[in-house]
Amino acid sequence: MSIQFKLTGALYREIMRDLERPHRFAAERVGFVSGRMGSLSAGGKLVLVTRYHCIPDDCYIDDPDVGARVNSEAITRAMHAVYHGRSLREGIFHVHLHQHHGEPVPSKTDWREIPKIMPGFQAVGRQAAHGMILLSADHAVAWVWLPGGEPTISDSISVIGIPIRVFERKALQ
Amino acid sequence: MNSDRYSRQSFLGADSQDLISKCTIAVVGLGGGGSHVVQQLAHIGFQRYVIYDYDVVEESNLNRLVGATLSDSLAETPKLHLAKMTIFGLQREARVRGFSCKWQENPEPLRECQIVIGCVDSYKARQELEIACRRYLIHYIDIGMDVHSKDQLVIGGQVILSSPSSLCMKCMGFLTDETLAREAAQYGNAGERPQVVWPNGVLASTAVGLAVDLVTNWTRSDRLHAWLVYNGNENTVKESHTLRNRQTTSCPHFSDADVGDPVLREL
Repeated sequence: MSIQFKLTGALYREIMRDLERPHRFAAERVGFVSGRMGSLSAGGKLVLVTRYHCIPDDCYIDDPDVGARVNSEAITRAMHAVYHGRSLREGIFHVHLHQHHGEPVPSKTDWREIPKIMPGFQAVGRQAAHGMILLSADHAVAWVWLPGGEPTISDSISVIGIPIRVFERKALQ
Repeated sequence: MNSDRYSRQSFLGADSQDLISKCTIAVVGLGGGGSHVVQQLAHIGFQRYVIYDYDVVEESNLNRLVGATLSDSLAETPKLHLAKMTIFGLQREARVRGFSCKWQENPEPLRECQIVIGCVDSYKARQELEIACRRYLIHYIDIGMDVHSKDQLVIGGQVILSSPSSLCMKCMGFLTDETLAREAAQYGNAGERPQVVWPNGVLASTAVGLAVDLVTNWTRSDRLHAWLVYNGNENTVKESHTLRNRQTTSCPHFSDADVGDPVLREL
């Protein structure tokens, strides 16, 4: 089953600008985006990213073992976004930036930590898709937890701006 | 593939062919305008197509339908088939999904596209396509021509670009409640629409130029909306005065948050 993402160029720039900002002590920034589902052919899913939720500076925890760790307030804000988006089946996606070019791959820390927050999101927004989006300087990949499903990697993320960008998994090219 | 194939368009950017080949583009309506569009897209190197047309070639199409022959009118060849032949004749590896129906009858493939070029006949059809494009975050490019007669015959036409987060066709002043109402009142009484090959060619070429710029941004214009007016008597394409004189900078008709499949909400 194909899962594709789309977002506007303006939103993509907003996300990149925020994640590229240095933090006082965290090695990197993280954020959340809201995404709404649409249906594609052959049971495929389209996730349309609607807005970015910036995490305030004081929601970061100083932990030198990881690039960024956020506190419960940041997670609560994300939960609120899921709660308010329930009627629209709007889910939430953790997002962060890997400072390199090419297709990003989740680190061991990403795989260890990020899936832990998914059950909470799924409990609040049962009919929505949730997950994580990894960005690099010129690429992006998403992992999606569809309602009642295992995490699935997205086929593509399209940035609908100028120029149009279509980030595809290497395996599909 | 011969590496010289796209050497004459390498000014579009070092990675332009890669960007073009990854873009999924839809053409809705494969008649006088759409047949030109498809041909040019295939020449440029587009590889992924979603095309819609449920019509067949008739004798009255032969004055303008690119690729159609006398045999096609006798055989009543589907316009969809002609478009596929054109694409595969230039791009053997192209991924073409063609649908012999109205796009509304099979809208899912359209949603995967990054660009839709609408070559449709009515204001209502344009409005419906634009709404779908906004809902699923797609750049919409519209072309159309007509012949007006007041004191003298005038060939007119338009090429419009409407992108998510930017002005829509209502904001630009192209779609108005009056034009939609007038068209609705004349429903079923539209008569023969004048169509000739050369304005279609100009309009299709302009639309394809906008599409290539969206994909490559080779002009660095960062243009997200446009209304270009064609005057077939003067042989000019100019920015619309109506749009230029508007003070509108943001679209009140569509929100980037109103996307995805419509959901019924309990009150």
